[in-house]
Amino acid sequence: MEFDEMKKIWDSQNQVVLYAIDEKALHNRIGVKRRQALHITNVTELMLILVNGGVGAFIVVTNHLRQSINISLYLLAALLFGSAFYVLVNRINRVKGDNRFDRSMRGDLDHALSVATYQVRISQIMRWNFIPIGILVTLGIVEGGRSIWIAFGMLAFFMLTHYLSRWEHNFYKRKKRELEELQKRLNQEDF
Amino acid sequence: MSEAEQQVIFETWLGQYKAMIFKIVRAYALNPMDRDDLFQDIVIQVWRSISSFRNESSPSTWIYRISLNTAIRWIKRERRHAELNESHEAVRQVLMENPVSLDDRLAWLYKEIYTLNEIDRCITILMLDDLSYKEMAGILGITESNVGVKINRIKKYLVSRSKTFEYGV
Repeated sequence: MEFDEMKKIWDSQNQVVLYAIDEKALHNRIGVKRRQALHITNVTELMLILVNGGVGAFIVVTNHLRQSINISLYLLAALLFGSAFYVLVNRINRVKGDNRFDRSMRGDLDHALSVATYQVRISQIMRWNFIPIGILVTLGIVEGGRSIWIAFGMLAFFMLTHYLSRWEHNFYKRKKRELEELQKRLNQEDF
Repeated sequence: MSEAEQQVIFETWLGQYKAMIFKIVRAYALNPMDRDDLFQDIVIQVWRSISSFRNESSPSTWIYRISLNTAIRWIKRERRHAELNESHEAVRQVLMENPVSLDDRLAWLYKEIYTLNEIDRCITILMLDDLSYKEMAGILGITESNVGVKINRIKKYLVSRSKTFEYGV
């Protein structure tokens, strides 16, 4: 079969109505998706900013009210504020950079890849952030005169969280790899 | 842009270009459930894209780009459990297949297109829909010469595969 014949076969489907659309179901579907408009990256960023900033503020306030000078907890608060600030700055840069991609499939893929790279970086940083946070919380507990077992329990909890967070990190890494494969396939010059 | 304006544009586009979307859906998804899922993904992306459409290209070029981009990523995407939480009404099937039997040769062509990789499938659909090299290069974001080379390779492949259909090899 020659290609021109394939083209005629392809065009033949223009005469046939292959599908019908259930307009009501489609409307509902769009409505649901619109409500879910907050993208996962946005949610992650906002959660990280709020949780880090909020917990940092809580630690400073409670430490101050108790009039205790628990150095570890102040260091922990500084680390949490630093993390929140880091995510905030990265978020601003990410949003600013959203318009620099051209309007083609390659541009869309480059954009998706840039978001995926960003997610991998943030999840990696946050994953390793659990270690100093865990250590400082443990030291804070010890400094505060609490039982050593509570301190150990808390340390174990942070180690477990660090271990489990690799799943999320690996999910982003896999997504990024898939996009890289697509990009490579699109850019590949055939000879 | 108001929601009412967005709705008007969406309905116009869907009316004019649904046949084009159906072809993409059929080339990327094998069974009716997947086709429905991909169709929904595409139309939702088209809906979302309306506010960023700037008339720099024709609506058809824009919709090709959105649809093909959604399709190549839909294949890779893992099904998200979150979607199971949607209301029963929301997951009702949107796309209903008309019980018309396809020409055997068209069914064969779709089957062959399905065996190509995601990017080659895009190019094959655009080529069969008669887009120029320039339009294809614009949609894909690659050079016209690269489009040309890819097209030659795909054409040769499809013609060679057609022998298996004609002679039942």
